Amino acid sequence: MAVGTDRINTRRQKLYALFGTYWAYLFLVLEIIFFALTARGFFSLRVLQNILFFGTPIFLLGTAETFVIITGGIDLSVGFVMGFAAVLGAKLVAGFTALGMGPAASIVLGLGITLIVGLIPGFINGTLVARLDVPPFIATFAMFGISHGVSELLLGGVWAKNLPHLANAIGNGFFLYIVPGKAASLFQRPVVQRGVRVLEIVPNVVVITFVVILIVAFILKRTKFGQHTYAIGGNIDAATKAGINVKKHLVRIYMLSSFLATLAGTIYVLKYVTGKGDAGAPFLLDSIVAVVIGGASLYGGKGTVGRTVLGCFILATLETGLRVLGVSTFDKYIAVGIILIIAVLIDQFSPELVHKED
Amino acid sequence: MKSAEALEETAGRRRARIIEVVAKNWASFFLLILLVVFSFTGRGFFSLGNLQTIVHLSTVLLLLAAAETFVIISGGIDLSVGMVMGFTAIISAKIMQILYRAELPQGTCILIGVLAGLAVCTLPGLISGILVARYRVPPFIATLGMWGVTLGVQLKVCGGYTIPFLPPKLVDIGNGYLIYVLPGRAVSLFSPPPGVAQTQIRELIRIAPNSFIFLLVVLGVMWHLLRNTKFGQHTYAIGGSMDAAVRAGIDVPRHLLKIYVLSTFLAGLAGIFNVFQAGLGNFTRFNAMYELFAIAGVIIGGASLMGGKGRIIGSIIGVLIIGVLETGLLISGVEPFYRFIAVGVILIVAVVIDHLFPDLF
Repeated sequence: MAVGTDRINTRRQKLYALFGTYWAYLFLVLEIIFFALTARGFFSLRVLQNILFFGTPIFLLGTAETFVIITGGIDLSVGFVMGFAAVLGAKLVAGFTALGMGPAASIVLGLGITLIVGLIPGFINGTLVARLDVPPFIATFAMFGISHGVSELLLGGVWAKNLPHLANAIGNGFFLYIVPGKAASLFQRPVVQRGVRVLEIVPNVVVITFVVILIVAFILKRTKFGQHTYAIGGNIDAATKAGINVKKHLVRIYMLSSFLATLAGTIYVLKYVTGKGDAGAPFLLDSIVAVVIGGASLYGGKGTVGRTVLGCFILATLETGLRVLGVSTFDKYIAVGIILIIAVLIDQFSPELVHKED
Repeated sequence: MKSAEALEETAGRRRARIIEVVAKNWASFFLLILLVVFSFTGRGFFSLGNLQTIVHLSTVLLLLAAAETFVIISGGIDLSVGMVMGFTAIISAKIMQILYRAELPQGTCILIGVLAGLAVCTLPGLISGILVARYRVPPFIATLGMWGVTLGVQLKVCGGYTIPFLPPKLVDIGNGYLIYVLPGRAVSLFSPPPGVAQTQIRELIRIAPNSFIFLLVVLGVMWHLLRNTKFGQHTYAIGGSMDAAVRAGIDVPRHLLKIYVLSTFLAGLAGIFNVFQAGLGNFTRFNAMYELFAIAGVIIGGASLMGGKGRIIGSIIGVLIIGVLETGLLISGVEPFYRFIAVGVILIVAVVIDHLFPDLF
């Protein structure tokens, strides 16, 4: 008898463990089935690609937040650093174009400079956190205010105009075009007669986003940099004793975070062909929620890029699905709040089981 | 020789003492400096009317900061206060609107609306309190969840528009003053002296907005609660060391629950005040970031995010610094975006000073 109940108990525990580990996948599948059944036209190539297309900022900011949260910190500035980058990038590209540079040169130069300047907020954040012992919440909130102010100042009330058409072509173009049964081409939209359907596969910005996310995921999973990140989040004293230069590493983490936010800002420039100061503001909450849904702990030491991407998928699908359904986006906030709490409760109730996996 | 050394030593000690006093009260000094500077740079800044306006407009943030003070001292954080404020304002205004349309007397509409608002505003706090205290969900996450839920609910109720057509008496109360003086002719309480012509309205001196009295009462009670009662003691104890508090026999989960309910109750008061002030039901915009400015005020006022430290008076000074800065920059003709930068920089300065002088408060 006793052995029997034991076996049942372990089996039940295993079930809980499975659920605790994979509930997010299950949730995503259920979500997609729900929208496929209720929202007309949801299950189409176009809408599924739109989830990715409009989700790019969530994916990038979520990835940025993953690194910071693994170290036990938080970065509240990502949203407005993204806005700052969008404004700066758009102004620079427009300025270079006005100076008479070619479209390709002005885009590369403008956005390149933006990506470098975007490291500065991260450097300041990191220095405050690592060297001056300012709590991450406060340091990055201060940077949130500062980058908001600076981007509005840069904007000066006038949106950047007259960006080259090439920006639009990159930002809203697709990686692969297929004319069924006839031709396929990369990047360039084939010239066809009116009425002929062209399949557009994978937006360019999604390709850029996921290449970068793959690289960063590799860094976190396979390199010393990633190992040290987990070590610092797990136990900062032990990490120091193990000879890790914690301060330097933390500065780098915050710089990486604001670099990814800046990248999201430059993608915004390509997508919308202008820059807005509050371009990234709505995505701050989403990015943190995505990381938590992905099973990271705000106390640090836990989390992976892959699972954060899963969390981002859940949120991006929710947003697009509700829009296709024609429901007011107000419901999104309620849903996100409830999902967040459920995620943490599941994590709380099966702690040792889920933690073992990492 | 020796006496000279001793003299030098006392001088050194005195200097250390002065530095300590300045560092300890740097926020108050900073507030004074701001007031002086803006009095020179901004025309009409240093006037009774303007200074009263600054406090009147800071009312909401002061209440939210008081809420945040309790939570932060206990070692937590409440990100939902700004949204709970809008949530309460919308629900209370909606009820007033319905009753007023049903042609009930204004007093009844307002009373029922206020009571209903105060009842619902404790719900989010109850939920986040249970999550934090019983299920050990990190406060950041639990209250972020309530942030989303209360934002969604208020937007659903109001449909994304402010709620109009409320009893007109609301604004009279919310924006009224305690004392009106028409120099040399008349004095009256609560409403302008009867028979004041439109031409004389500019001469009318208004003293002590009604919001002052409201603030004095609420903040006074909170100050007393935190400083002189067992409730306050327990709050500091939990923030100082959770384990020690448990061993000292404090029912920590129960106390934490109370703190989160108190926090959203104060946020609800802010929401109801907002209805009185605006005469409309305003929802909180998702990027308004009230909670962050309230937290900034509390931190500038000397509290620590690690818990166990903070005072109501400090939080009041912190919020007033933000309020004076905003109004002062505006009157001085500086572009409004600088205020974000300024608040950010002051916040960093506050924490660095706190770090350099850890044992001051």
